Amino acid sequence: MGEHTEHTQTTGNSSEPRIMAFVCNWCTYAGADLAGTSRMEYRPNVRVIKLPCTGRIDPLFIIKAFENGADGVLVSGCHPGDCHYTTGNYHARRRWIAFKNLMEFVGIDMRRLHFSWVSASEAIKWVDLINNVTEEVGKLGPFMEYKGLGAQAVE
Amino acid sequence: MENAVREKAKGLLTSGEVKVVIGWGWNRNGTRTTPVFITRPEDAGRLVWNPLCVNNLSVYLTRKFKDIQALGRPAIVAKGCDIKNIAVLVSEAQVKREDVYIIGVTCDGVVYRQELWKGELTPNIMPTKCHNCDVRNPHIADCVIGDRSGFVPPEAPAGMVFDRIKALDAKESAQRWEFWIKEFSRCVKCYACRQVCSLCYCERCITEKNMPQWIETSAHPRGNLSWNLTRAMHLAGRCTFCGECERACPVNIPLNLVNQKLITVVKDAFDYRSGYDASAHPPMIVFSPEDKENFIK
Amino acid sequence: MPRIGVFVCQCGNNIAATVDTKKVAEEMGRLPGVVYTCDYKFMCSSPGQEMLKQAIKENNLDGVIVSACSPHMHEKTFRKASEAAGLNPYRCEITNIREQCSWVHHDRTKAVGTVKSMDLTRMTIQRLKKNRPLDKIRIPVRKRALVIGGGIAGIQAALDIAEGGREVILVEKEPSIGGNMARLSETFPTMDCSQCILTPKMVEAELNENIKLYTYSEVEKVDGYIGNFTVRIRRKSKYVDEERCTGCGECIEKCPFKVESRFELGLAKRKVIYTPFPQSVPNVPVIDAPNCPKIQKDRCGVCALVCGPKCIDFKMEDRIETVEVGAIVVATGYQLMPNARFGEYGYGRIKDVINGMQFERLASSSGPTGGEIRRPSDGKVPDSVVFIQCVGSRDEKKGVSYCSKVCCMYTAKHTMLYHHKVHGGKAYVFYMDIRCAGKRYEEFVRRAIEHDGAMYLRGRVSRVYERDGKVIVQGADTLSASQVEIEADMVVLATAIVSRDGADTLAQRLGIGYDRHRFYNEYHPKLKPVETVTAGIYLAGTCIGPMDIPESVAQGSAAASKVLALFSADEMSREPITALVNKATCNACWDCVTACPYSAIEKDAVKNRQGEIVRRLARVNDGVCQGCGVCVAACRSKSIDLKGYTDEQVFAAINAF
Repeated sequence: MGEHTEHTQTTGNSSEPRIMAFVCNWCTYAGADLAGTSRMEYRPNVRVIKLPCTGRIDPLFIIKAFENGADGVLVSGCHPGDCHYTTGNYHARRRWIAFKNLMEFVGIDMRRLHFSWVSASEAIKWVDLINNVTEEVGKLGPFMEYKGLGAQAVE
Repeated sequence: MENAVREKAKGLLTSGEVKVVIGWGWNRNGTRTTPVFITRPEDAGRLVWNPLCVNNLSVYLTRKFKDIQALGRPAIVAKGCDIKNIAVLVSEAQVKREDVYIIGVTCDGVVYRQELWKGELTPNIMPTKCHNCDVRNPHIADCVIGDRSGFVPPEAPAGMVFDRIKALDAKESAQRWEFWIKEFSRCVKCYACRQVCSLCYCERCITEKNMPQWIETSAHPRGNLSWNLTRAMHLAGRCTFCGECERACPVNIPLNLVNQKLITVVKDAFDYRSGYDASAHPPMIVFSPEDKENFIK
Repeated sequence: MPRIGVFVCQCGNNIAATVDTKKVAEEMGRLPGVVYTCDYKFMCSSPGQEMLKQAIKENNLDGVIVSACSPHMHEKTFRKASEAAGLNPYRCEITNIREQCSWVHHDRTKAVGTVKSMDLTRMTIQRLKKNRPLDKIRIPVRKRALVIGGGIAGIQAALDIAEGGREVILVEKEPSIGGNMARLSETFPTMDCSQCILTPKMVEAELNENIKLYTYSEVEKVDGYIGNFTVRIRRKSKYVDEERCTGCGECIEKCPFKVESRFELGLAKRKVIYTPFPQSVPNVPVIDAPNCPKIQKDRCGVCALVCGPKCIDFKMEDRIETVEVGAIVVATGYQLMPNARFGEYGYGRIKDVINGMQFERLASSSGPTGGEIRRPSDGKVPDSVVFIQCVGSRDEKKGVSYCSKVCCMYTAKHTMLYHHKVHGGKAYVFYMDIRCAGKRYEEFVRRAIEHDGAMYLRGRVSRVYERDGKVIVQGADTLSASQVEIEADMVVLATAIVSRDGADTLAQRLGIGYDRHRFYNEYHPKLKPVETVTAGIYLAGTCIGPMDIPESVAQGSAAASKVLALFSADEMSREPITALVNKATCNACWDCVTACPYSAIEKDAVKNRQGEIVRRLARVNDGVCQGCGVCVAACRSKSIDLKGYTDEQVFAAINAF
């Protein structure tokens, strides 16, 4: 942390593992911004897609992310009760409960799919979350099982 | 009982209360049952009722069959399990309860597949749903035909589907993945599972939308997985476990396992069972602030 | 082929220290559809913006990407600049390569930051290719406001809006405006008489030409959305023609029947034809129909006989009036918790145990005793009075979890009033904590204790009972660690402030949120304290939670300023981020209707020329939709999409991953 003055340490190959994050505009995206304004440092593997609300997130987004070579997916929004749209995250939570169980049932390793609540003030939580998710997904290595499906598709 | 069904149908058509009776009849060879659409009272004798009447006819009430809708007010011969689907259709405003006459038939079970029929209904040829059925006496109907069933379903659901889910759950995720990719790889994207399902009634299915093309159209493992996951999610909280998709699947993908898995999840997480209350909102479009969320960090 | 320009900002050294912005720009230039790229020191500066505008014009760009700081910082800036150059503002997208890249990845070799910046920019470019031009939504605004509740907060809101030159309809369910404040004797900490400061405002509200008073009326139904609400109001029958009544009071005088006065909280009786209190506004009596023998049994009718202008009509019926307004201020106030819950304090059982509001009436010069403190049972002037604070407040078990906020102050005031009116009288106060944060509040309580000799005892009362015409109060004094027993003549309970009966029903009618105590939810408790999640509906006063008069008045004025700001233009414009239904494929399953948090989706139908319904489909009301997208994810047939965050845009971004 601190100013990026004498900090020259590289954070490793930023392309592995590849993690896609779907976050809501009002809480998690703002929390991630705060981590930036506070000059906190975290692993560079996540690519964020901003949506107005977690309620906008269709499970297909997550499937599509894996299809496109994501090794892990992270979904994050406002804490229950804090939704900018009052109830969007409650709707999202219901969907995640069903979807998470389905993904587990078809054999997706749940260390590759993460759900979280990060508020606009929880910059530290965002940093820890990204580092932990990157760590966990990194240990599993590239999601060859899913990528393999793509290879078969090309054949 | 079969005669009572015919008499009822005849009466309804004669009085003009309904314009068509959707029921089961024999195929040309008299070996299997097939859906029939009776519009004239004198044809009511074609209707049959026996353990081969496995088709869930509620699909013919949906917007997918506009020509049948065009015939006018329908009556439908329905087992309790079929009625569950009608209840979902009513709750999703696809059918108005008063716009359909339900001739409920009490049921002692049907065969899993008609080919298995050897002239006698034995437990081993019945699908899992029949072994656990709590609607052998139709729960929503305008009239009920048949003697009351005294069948009491087991307290804990039992049968092959539940056993296989349990076995899969016990495995490592890599093994489950292997299992399902193998199963789904056989999928030829014929969409029979969708066509036969009365709850897959979309005017235009997501697979046919191409802006964007969420689900790849050709049949290969990646697109097959996306399709099957999407189908399962779209039926979450709605599927009644009628089993028609699996029965229709030409390559025998065990779709009942996915369906029942999500039914169990929805029941455990949201205390909801679809098909029992036509006035309830489907659980995936409502929420409770108390929904459990131990996996969300 | 699209013509996209990519502008990569160095942000001085903020981005450039860890991102090779030149390389990002160059690499992006290789992507199909990108026809112009550059990097620049400060894109948000005037020269930067000018450069953007010029590049758009010179290169005929149909879309621009600014890879810079968070869109929360400068999305508006760059969209405005794009618009000035003739581009649709929604064809401008921001890539966040500062807060979420250069500032959090400190690799000075720039390898990490450059790769990530390129990835993020590429995703935005692909997304932008699917961005449709959008137009701001314009909604006409009807410049008339509805204020629900004629207490001090509602009166203040109505007066401010009226003085801003806009029409106001002020709905009050009682026969007179004034609310709870009309009952108070003096007000803390200044000790001016409540009536003296309130009555002029009530009269002002009555005389203001922009204010229509609908007293004895209730809101039954609210439809519509910001700028365009349709409200159905039930105007209960007063049995008196408001237009012709002169307020002479002859009818009240001559009415032979008396019932308990609700305004006086059971301490006095009133006639069956009545005004709640002498200074009522409007000064028009109403007939209490359930208690009127003429209306019930066709006996009596004296009031009609003595009425000079002949304005009494026993056959009068409720009227339903439908009004159209552009904004609504909810100021429905509070009530006190029913004391019956606190059996140990003897309320309802012991006549001389009263609540704080009843004490206000006893102390009020217009009250049942003319301002003399006399106890209800026998009219005796009490030699000693015990005040018990926090009755129901801060008591999760039997009452409410919150602090009612004003009781510490009014109890201190009560002890002073008592001391001033009954010389030598002894006031005891049982309290948990003394909370007197506020201008001149601490000094006020100190005065009650030090100057007016109130005896403050820290502790709870365990039991109150009667003995020989005295009310015996047993309690603990925790500071001296002793049990005390006080022989009092009267006990006053500072009961909790709670939300009004029916507060939840009204909230549901309005589509606003409320908490578990049925107090209304602000949009944001700190930053939007008088707004609700429903645009165009504002809050003021104690319907939000316990507060004192200055706060209520401030909120009334705050809500009024919000309304006036809304009314300052003929139209309001909104971000066009709203949902849109695909009419061709909608299944009319109404899942979106159920899921929408704002009731913004309606069940619509397509009719043929004969007026028969051909098919049903969902329709989004742009005025109400807030653009959350819950409906989009709920729709199985993908028949509803969110402008600005369409499936195509998200899909393109994921594909570029």
